[in-house]
Amino acid sequence: MIVGTRKPLAEIQGMVRGARRLLLAGCDTCVAECVAGGRKEVGELAAALMMAFRLSGQEVEIRETSVDRQCIHEFLLEVVEAAAGAEAVISLACGAGVQALAARLPETPVFPALNTQFIGETAERGLWLENCRGCGDCMLGLTGGICPISRCAKSLLNGPCGGAAGGLCEINKAKKFDPEVPCAWLQIYDRLSALGQLERLLELAPPKDWSQGEAGGPRRVLRPDQRP
Amino acid sequence: MSKKPEVVVLACQQALPETGPLVEALEGAGLRARAVPEPCSSKIEAFHLLRLLAVEADCVWVLACPEDACLLREGSRRLGKRLEHAREYLREIGLEPERLNLTRLSPGEPVDLTRLATDMADTARTLGLNPGCRGRGPKKEQPQ
Repeated sequence: MIVGTRKPLAEIQGMVRGARRLLLAGCDTCVAECVAGGRKEVGELAAALMMAFRLSGQEVEIRETSVDRQCIHEFLLEVVEAAAGAEAVISLACGAGVQALAARLPETPVFPALNTQFIGETAERGLWLENCRGCGDCMLGLTGGICPISRCAKSLLNGPCGGAAGGLCEINKAKKFDPEVPCAWLQIYDRLSALGQLERLLELAPPKDWSQGEAGGPRRVLRPDQRP
Repeated sequence: MSKKPEVVVLACQQALPETGPLVEALEGAGLRARAVPEPCSSKIEAFHLLRLLAVEADCVWVLACPEDACLLREGSRRLGKRLEHAREYLREIGLEPERLNLTRLSPGEPVDLTRLATDMADTARTLGLNPGCRGRGPKKEQPQ
């Protein structure tokens, strides 16, 4: 899922300055799971913005809506309808959702309420970890299902660096993490060992195709069989 | 516009089954008061608390069971965290976090309603009207 965090209220207020009728639009899948942009968070932000605007002497009308996925155009029809009359829309979706909504509302400015962080998983209650960089050339089959690109601080592809100690990544020495960051390569070794597949680490892998990742410009997936 | 601060009490029905006497005590202390019985404090979300402050209340008070006596095991403890999350919003806005309060009452045990109402009334009077609330205006006004 996509993990995001809310922007500071002052930044959100600044983006919509001058608008007197706002729509807040939530997204009830990824960013609801990470408690940043679902309908509950829309309610929190709406109430907080109402109070913040009043304290600055402005009365702003704020409406609320939320849909299952802002990144899929069919789901946006409800938001487009709710946006009628709004001078600005604040989207609590990830960056993809914000852009999809903006494309549907060519005459209404759409602003992000979140900073989109990463593709990750809910590791524990209240803890989300990045575990996919979207590199376009997945090597999880070789590494026991643990991604060294996203989970190794140096994105090393050929084993741990010299800084790992006690099962932990050396990045813990530079910055306080709670819980501490494990060495991804030790995790890979332990996982493959438990599976009885350590020989996978001896396989010679071809050079990684970085052109499939961010280095290759804006990415797209085209499926002729799915095209109109 | 009334200058009396309004307190909204969200009361877990296990912690305080009868809210009428508390509301009377608060009104007797010169406040406007409303109580909302809740099946369990775990049902109270941060957006409920913030909305009440945005549209109605000068002060919101949650009455919950002790953390280890919650009907839904961790409900009361998690409510405490959500309340703190809502208070963070108030700090960010520039409102007093004390406008959101929590008192834990043991289910089945007698409650000193006079003392509870006095605490609530003192807090509400000290804070005054909520300038972030609808109808209160941008400037803080002192209650009469």
